[in-house]
Amino acid sequence: MSTVEDKKQTAQDWEPNIVGFACNWCTYAGADLAGLSRMQYPPNVKLIRVPCSGRTNPQFVLRAFQKGADAVLVAGCHPGDCHYSTGNYFTRRRYLLMQRLLEYMGIDPRRFQARWISGSEAPKFRDVVTQMSEEVKALGPNKKLREEL
Amino acid sequence: MNSLIKEMQALAQELLASGEVKGVFGWTKGSRWYLTPPLFIQKAEDAIKLHYDEFAINNLTSLLLDYRNSDDKIAIFVKGCDSRGILRLIQDKQVNPEKVLVIGLPCPGMVDKEAVKDQRHVHDLPLLRKCQECRYPNPVLADRTLGDVQVTKEPGVPIGITAERAIQKGVGSKGKERYQEVKEIEALSADEKYAFWQKQHEKCLRCYACRNICPACNCRECIFESDKKGWVNKAATTTDNAFFGITRAMHVAGRCVDCGECERVCPAGIPIMKINRKIMQDIDELFGTYDAGTDLEEAGPLNHFKLDDPEEFL
Repeated sequence: MSTVEDKKQTAQDWEPNIVGFACNWCTYAGADLAGLSRMQYPPNVKLIRVPCSGRTNPQFVLRAFQKGADAVLVAGCHPGDCHYSTGNYFTRRRYLLMQRLLEYMGIDPRRFQARWISGSEAPKFRDVVTQMSEEVKALGPNKKLREEL
Repeated sequence: MNSLIKEMQALAQELLASGEVKGVFGWTKGSRWYLTPPLFIQKAEDAIKLHYDEFAINNLTSLLLDYRNSDDKIAIFVKGCDSRGILRLIQDKQVNPEKVLVIGLPCPGMVDKEAVKDQRHVHDLPLLRKCQECRYPNPVLADRTLGDVQVTKEPGVPIGITAERAIQKGVGSKGKERYQEVKEIEALSADEKYAFWQKQHEKCLRCYACRNICPACNCRECIFESDKKGWVNKAATTTDNAFFGITRAMHVAGRCVDCGECERVCPAGIPIMKINRKIMQDIDELFGTYDAGTDLEEAGPLNHFKLDDPEEFL
């Protein structure tokens, strides 16, 4: 989002910008299914496909916030379902710490979420995105950690 | 203390003269009474330059990284806190334990040279906060020990010829209160926390002194040296400094050995340990108590997992 866009937007028509890191095997397939099933959900989430939720480096999250994301979602397979057997268990440990650290740095924990969404859980994907979008809309634009434009 | 220094010099002299080691990392007396900087010697006759006192604060372990590809055996003197750095390097497979001779020393408790009032005259100084909070005053790993100190893998009280002085000074007296500063920040509101950390990150010069001294920061090529444009930014702006600070904290998460050197060397006075301690506290809460760099066999908390780990936000 550029500065010009920011200025144009008024409080009413502001739409949050959510970056979602979706695991190739579960969440991305789940999102695909939501699309195929013609499910309605807010278009605020921009999905980035990653091989595994364990591939999302903490720096991806920070970089997203720097570049103007209002919230970040990391989503992967349910524990036990990982395509690579154990990737998501490491994700879980890493982001439990990361979310607490971001909160310690003053970032609202609602702006950084991790979820397990399987390939068949299109309704869950829709619900997560809808809920997150509403929550972030109530919180307003994220100004923290952002690069000065 | 003098007898301990004599023992150190004699041992270093013997090791170098016999050719058992090719170099020795230790400390020497500096140009002021309150300075005891690091020293590296390669000749037996230089052993008399070695010195050790309550100003030998420097953790020398990260210097071993300069010899990680070397076939020469190197000896290194360690205090209790430094010895955890050696474990870190061995666990991370950065040094070959057979190529390092670790000499454990008893620690008298290091004092705060920032409190020097009269540069010309020796006077009493208070103990460093990290030494008051110290839980591992004795080496957790050593091939040889001097000054009657014993290798102890559990948290404990100082042992050895300097133990009396250390206990009297209060080494380890505040071990249980080490997360107090973290709790103080946690009690602030989100905006207050953010303002506090912004003020800290604003000061960062990106000199990377914290990274260079850190035994856990042992990557051969640091991502912040990378020249991939658009990925990490080298400009010292507040947001990029925050990116650096948080990234470094996540990189040493579960691996930080709590030596506090990053905070000591920071020329801008950023309380880096308040970030590292926060992560340690969370690891203790979420995954069970863990002290990095105390057990060679135990995998770090981010290197393994349990099927029933908490899922507080998933």
